[in-house]
Amino acid sequence: MSREVKFIAACGAGVNSSHQIKDAVEEEMRKRGYNVKVDAYMIKDVNEDLLSHYDGYLTIAKTDLSFKPKIPLIDAGAILYRIPAMAKPVYDNVEKVVKEINAK
Amino acid sequence: MKENKLFSANAVFVSDASDPTTIFKEVSDKLLTLDLVNDGFFNGINQREQQYPTGIDTSPIAKELPNIAVPHTEGEFVNTCLIVPVALKTPVSFKNMIAPDQSLPVKFLFMILNNNPEGQANILAQIMDFLRLSPVSKLQALFNLTETDKIYQLLSKNFSQK
Repeated sequence: MSREVKFIAACGAGVNSSHQIKDAVEEEMRKRGYNVKVDAYMIKDVNEDLLSHYDGYLTIAKTDLSFKPKIPLIDAGAILYRIPAMAKPVYDNVEKVVKEINAK
Repeated sequence: MKENKLFSANAVFVSDASDPTTIFKEVSDKLLTLDLVNDGFFNGINQREQQYPTGIDTSPIAKELPNIAVPHTEGEFVNTCLIVPVALKTPVSFKNMIAPDQSLPVKFLFMILNNNPEGQANILAQIMDFLRLSPVSKLQALFNLTETDKIYQLLSKNFSQK
């Protein structure tokens, strides 16, 4: 099995949207045969040091960060609708990052 | 009828307020007397909505469906896991959660009280499934109800809990 690829998902309260995205992305990536872990955070706790422990950042809205993240940002808000056709492009973007990490 | 534990007959609201802060104040005061939230809840939910809005554009689900919002705040201000429905007599402007520069006219709130995000099936996901899987006509009827007991009955009957 390939190595675990770690993403962070963040939303305002850290309780609803970020957990929904965590559950959905972990499940879909498992189905696609990847080892992906997502941690849910409050946006206010996201900083450069925290992001340095992750391979990608799943965002819900275009959030103003006070710094420019060095890891890929993936716009994941569409997942919240739970409509497969809307979620697929997000999952494809996640898979692309996972493949790049695994190829390293 | 099996009671749906995600709703409480006491915690259902109809509001004629015209802005989110006034709605949050009305609802928070009542939730506080019911001991469902603590006294930090109003500030928490009000500030959170301004910084990280929760309006949801329902047009990808069905074009004729009014928009909703899912206001919520950190678990530290909340004593339970519950969905608090708030019907708005006239639409109120909320910012779009996934595109905060857009404003949406919102007709119905599913306020989420969640003090245990790890411990149970995702409440937001259950709300989105309810919207996605219910007939549009039924949702339109729900969003136009103005009596709290009817809102409670309809939601408890039709909201399938995981």
